[in-house]
Amino acid sequence: MLFKESLISAISSIRSNSVRSFLTSLAIIIGTAAVIAVIGIGSSAEKALEASIDDLGGRTLYVAPGQNRRGAVTKGIIPLDIKDAEALANYKEHDWEISPTITRNRQVKYGNANINQRIGAYLPIHFGVRGYELESGRLFDEDDNLGRKRVVVLGSKIPSELKTIAGNLLNKEILIAGTSYKVIGILKEEGSTGWQNPDEELYIPLLTGAQRVFGTPNVDSINVGISNDQNVDEIMMSIEQILRAKHDIGPGQDNDFRISDYSQFADLRRQATGIFTLLIAAIAGISLVVGGIGVMNIMLVSVTERTREIGLRKALGATHSAIMLQFVVEAILLCIIGGLIGLFIGTGILWICATLFDWPFALPIGAMVGSITFSAMVGLFFGIWPAKKAAKLDPATSLRYE
Amino acid sequence: MIIKTTELKRSFEVGSETVEAIKGINLEVQAGEFLAITGPSGSGKTTLMNIIGCLDTPTSGEYFLNNKLVNELNENELAGIRNKEIGFVFQSFHLLAKNSALDNVLLPMKYAGTNIDEATIRAKHVLDQVGLSDRMNHGPTELSGGQQQRVAIARAMVNKPSILFADEPTGNLDSKTEGEVMGLFKELNEDGQTIIVITHEENIANQSKRIINIKDGLIESDTRI
Repeated sequence: MLFKESLISAISSIRSNSVRSFLTSLAIIIGTAAVIAVIGIGSSAEKALEASIDDLGGRTLYVAPGQNRRGAVTKGIIPLDIKDAEALANYKEHDWEISPTITRNRQVKYGNANINQRIGAYLPIHFGVRGYELESGRLFDEDDNLGRKRVVVLGSKIPSELKTIAGNLLNKEILIAGTSYKVIGILKEEGSTGWQNPDEELYIPLLTGAQRVFGTPNVDSINVGISNDQNVDEIMMSIEQILRAKHDIGPGQDNDFRISDYSQFADLRRQATGIFTLLIAAIAGISLVVGGIGVMNIMLVSVTERTREIGLRKALGATHSAIMLQFVVEAILLCIIGGLIGLFIGTGILWICATLFDWPFALPIGAMVGSITFSAMVGLFFGIWPAKKAAKLDPATSLRYE
Repeated sequence: MIIKTTELKRSFEVGSETVEAIKGINLEVQAGEFLAITGPSGSGKTTLMNIIGCLDTPTSGEYFLNNKLVNELNENELAGIRNKEIGFVFQSFHLLAKNSALDNVLLPMKYAGTNIDEATIRAKHVLDQVGLSDRMNHGPTELSGGQQQRVAIARAMVNKPSILFADEPTGNLDSKTEGEVMGLFKELNEDGQTIIVITHEENIANQSKRIINIKDGLIESDTRI
């Protein structure tokens, strides 16, 4: 009954000073909103990352040209080329998908539209490896590749970039770096994976790209797709053996390429996101503590303002702890209300970000419960001193306080 | 005997000086008395009321309330006594502005830990006694001065105290409502309630049954009417 009385008194006090209460809890509101938004965004980004890794289908190893050091002398980058990819593809010991890639930005023209866009040269299996689906037309095949045909498949957003619609472009010619290419297919919308946006890319056969567009047999990277049950170390050793033989690297010399595991990137990125999230959450936590000081300040004012009321309550028989309870409850309530407002704002920010960046939206329940609990504890901690001050007031003098 | 004090003294530190507000008061009050304590400002009557109302403790001397020595009790024990044994009525009513008359009367019982249903019945009963059964859901701002003071009297009476203290209870009231409030006190006294009124107004003091005049911290006269 006493607790209920304290709660009613606290609500009435907060309501009768609503502007002051709002300003007081502003720091708590901002702090909680920040904690929830940051932690939520962090975990959503991580989920998006995981989804994009799953998108790669099983596990993908990434082979890229790297510096070759011989003693102190550094040779330039020895490129990987299409022949390396072919050597890997011809090695039948392992069941792997070899997908070399060349990507560059080139001018793309259609009608009056002239844009600088990412052009990717791939083998036909690339679409299958990535799970890209056709909206209309067809994909290029091995014949297109070997024949170095001037054909192109468009990402779903390219037609609008070229200020037209998909139906108008299919089977039409567009200019890539000044040369005419036939649009044979348009992909369905895939959505950004966080790594790259497949909807804003133009896809051409690898050999067409190497010979006609980029004029180089050197590839940016070779993706090696394997299923999850294969031994990554063994696969890496095989790739190393094949490429060392191909590049004629003698014993004791370093590799002139590097093999990375996408899941290693993912781990790194996950770690970085985690540290970043923790850092921002800590700053937001400081804001909660600062908010607590504001609450303490206003509670001290409130105690002074209500000296006569405290005197009266004591005259009617309120004990030390009853007065303490009343003011501590008020401080905690102030913080919890601030926390709840912050929770709604933070969740709103999170929802907007998730929608904007196309991340999966999930309520960070842990952060929500945690930040409300923390707010309440801030209220308790910073409410105790003013409450003690109130409880210690002398009833006889406070009754006559003007 | 409800109140017995022996050589009650209370001094205050004002700056570097020590001021003795009451200088040795010996007072006995029996159950059922209607007492007025009078005296000019600064005479020490408020200090005396604070001590016998357990809002303050004496510097020296003994104070027995219901044969219990109270001047050595700790703060929480004093709060308990204020809650159960003493009812206060103040000049400026001291009602909680945002609470209804009923909630104001409920407050002492909340501190006593009374069950809410029982408390509500009792509160309604005392509000009825002071003639406010139709106004109990009104807030202080919707009540006249006389009505507010009657709410305060109901609040003071609700825990059935041994003593009802009234500190200048009619100081903020016109003469008509003053008569009403004093009439209410007389009725309560006739029912056996011990009442102590602190006042500097002679006509209020004259309505009691015993007048104690305080001057310079000492009892100057003790007259039974």
